[in-house]
Amino acid sequence: MVCNWCTKHGAGKKWYMNAKNYSNELADELRAKEYLTEQWTNFEQVYIRKIMGISSIDLGYKLKLPIIGRVLRWQAERMIHSESKNRNPRRADGHFGQVVPLEEAKVILGNLAAEPIIENYCMCRWMQRGIKERCCINFGVLSTVIERLPRFIPENNTARISREEAMERIEEHNRRGYVASVWFQPVPYINAICSCENPECGGLRLRRDFGLHTVYKSEYVMSVDADKCQACGMCVHRCQFGAIRLVPSLGRAIVDPKVCWGCGVCRHSCTHDALGLMPREDVPIARGRY
Amino acid sequence: MLGLPEKIRIEIDYEKCGEKGKIDPRECCRCLRVCDPAVFIMHETVGLEQDPIDPQYWRITPVWNSLCTKCMKCVEVCPEGAIRVW
Ligand code: SF4
Ligand code: SF4
Ligand code: SF4
Ligand code: SF4
Ligand code: SF4
Repeated sequence: MVCNWCTKHGAGKKWYMNAKNYSNELADELRAKEYLTEQWTNFEQVYIRKIMGISSIDLGYKLKLPIIGRVLRWQAERMIHSESKNRNPRRADGHFGQVVPLEEAKVILGNLAAEPIIENYCMCRWMQRGIKERCCINFGVLSTVIERLPRFIPENNTARISREEAMERIEEHNRRGYVASVWFQPVPYINAICSCENPECGGLRLRRDFGLHTVYKSEYVMSVDADKCQACGMCVHRCQFGAIRLVPSLGRAIVDPKVCWGCGVCRHSCTHDALGLMPREDVPIARGRY
Repeated sequence: MLGLPEKIRIEIDYEKCGEKGKIDPRECCRCLRVCDPAVFIMHETVGLEQDPIDPQYWRITPVWNSLCTKCMKCVEVCPEGAIRVW
């Protein structure tokens, strides 16, 4: 069995393969519309606002403080994974995700995602770089919430896309080198597939730079077929995590499974069919390290 | 001080860039883009009366200070000299 969240919300499958987590009924039950309206209207403020007297400003410093740092970490993890009734959308309680390879992202968009589906500007790239890039695919109740916010929506509201378009778009983003990720907001309601990049993505930032579990690694890790690899090195440029590299003496690429996120993006640059994903659970050193 | 981590200080002069300044950060974004570790965040100014759906007043706040390399590129690139790092 996979991670804790699959046990809780996967109904025997991976959490993001359980159709119930995408349903409008679940959204209603969780009052997701109110939560998401509040969360998204205030999105860029999430790090600025004080939460229980402390904001995320210079979080790195605060986390290193003796005692306070440990309390803060514990509190932050509790918020990120909160399933309590009175979750606070302004601090994104109960909002976390997991990296998925392209195949699974397509299954989600093709079969599970609730309509309407939209593709809007990525808010992480907007707030971190001032770049408006259309690569965030949202669905269900969240689409109707984001459509009201002009800063995330292309002019003349052309945000809505069909299921087929969504599958094409995620493939384009993935080939471009972006990492696909699926999001609970709030857990267990699923309504977004993102195409993230380092270090712009807030979720990846909090996980990679501060060790908070805002986003989990995928259910897979990459493996190199030593016979097929031609040591061209193209895959190395693609990896956002520095998990794959060329070893000159061996004349091939190797993957560090402790570092690999299993996003599958490196595969797009291999023209020798030398790269394939394996289930994380089959690799002892990577097992359980989501 | 003993036991305390090093603190990197970054300050924006909001008289120069932000709702009171001559620059709307959304029109500039130079500091956001020049910084390798993406230390800055752009957000609507909090505490001002403004339309929450389509806010018009924005600011830059340094948020991920601990990741700053003190390369000073933001200081050099800012057309208003609004940034200080020390
Ligand atoms: S999670 Fe990823 S795609 Fe979504 S808004 Fe953040 S960086 Fe953009
Ligand atoms: S090596 Fe792992 S983390 Fe890097 S691109 Fe390939 S699958 Fe993704
Ligand atoms: S792209 Fe393929 S052939 Fe080239 S180094 Fe990577 S795994 Fe080997
Ligand atoms: S000094 Fe360099 S690393 Fe630090 S905030 Fe400015 S640009 Fe970023
Ligand atoms: S570079 Fe200077 S003027 Fe431009 S957005 Fe940053 S702080 Fe404002």
